[in-house]
Amino acid sequence: MTIVESAIQPPAKKAAFGWTAAFVIGMFGMPAALHFVALPPALKMVMMLLPMLLLIPMIRAANRAARQCGCYSQAMQNYNRRMLVWSFVYVVALLAAVWVYNTIHPTGILAWAVAVLPSLPILFFIWSMGAYLTEERDEYLRQKAMTSALWATGILLAVATFYGFLDTFQLVPHVEGWAAVPVWAIGLGIGNLIAKRS
Amino acid sequence: MDNRLRVLRAERNWSQGDLAERLEVSRQSVNAIETGKYDPSLPLAFRIAELFNLAIEEVFVSPSRAV
Repeated sequence: MTIVESAIQPPAKKAAFGWTAAFVIGMFGMPAALHFVALPPALKMVMMLLPMLLLIPMIRAANRAARQCGCYSQAMQNYNRRMLVWSFVYVVALLAAVWVYNTIHPTGILAWAVAVLPSLPILFFIWSMGAYLTEERDEYLRQKAMTSALWATGILLAVATFYGFLDTFQLVPHVEGWAAVPVWAIGLGIGNLIAKRS
Repeated sequence: MDNRLRVLRAERNWSQGDLAERLEVSRQSVNAIETGKYDPSLPLAFRIAELFNLAIEEVFVSPSRAV
């Protein structure tokens, strides 16, 4: 999730939006397409990584958009670069963990290591959010990021509480704990929109 | 908080980007301060006033004295 600020001029905004749309479509479309194609599992995993390459132009476009809207900072560039790193590592770690789990059927310490592996890049993402807030020298941009993060946290707590009780009373399917991060990320996007309008 | 930033900037023919560069902040920050959407911290307010060689109260209007 890139930090793209408000008042972005149309061309850069369109490019950033276009690359983001392409990335999302690729990330969801590739697994769906591979479901109907008979390929060796290893090749399928490599194919799953391909849409991740769209992150590079996406982040470049986001940086250009931020420059155009006058809300670009070195801290933001650092954040976006770290996002690129953890996103790549996360997908590789997740695919590797699933592959090892399905083929080797690990037990004991190896099973623990495999299960923990995909969470490590996510921990790096959480750290990179904190690092952005400490590195950002522009107090207005920092305040906007903090406001968005507060919205994201509030939305996550509300969703977790609401859905958690529905889950407890077995009215909805169970959702794994790691879903907290995507929900928080969606909340961050909502927070950005609110900050843009206020 | 009302302020005279836009006028002071115009007197010097500075764009928002020029002022942002001198203050080492983003152009969006300058815009937010000018439009009263964001009240700067005391250190930033001092930096702004010092840049124009004015006292803080000559740049920013005290909310309790605003008409």
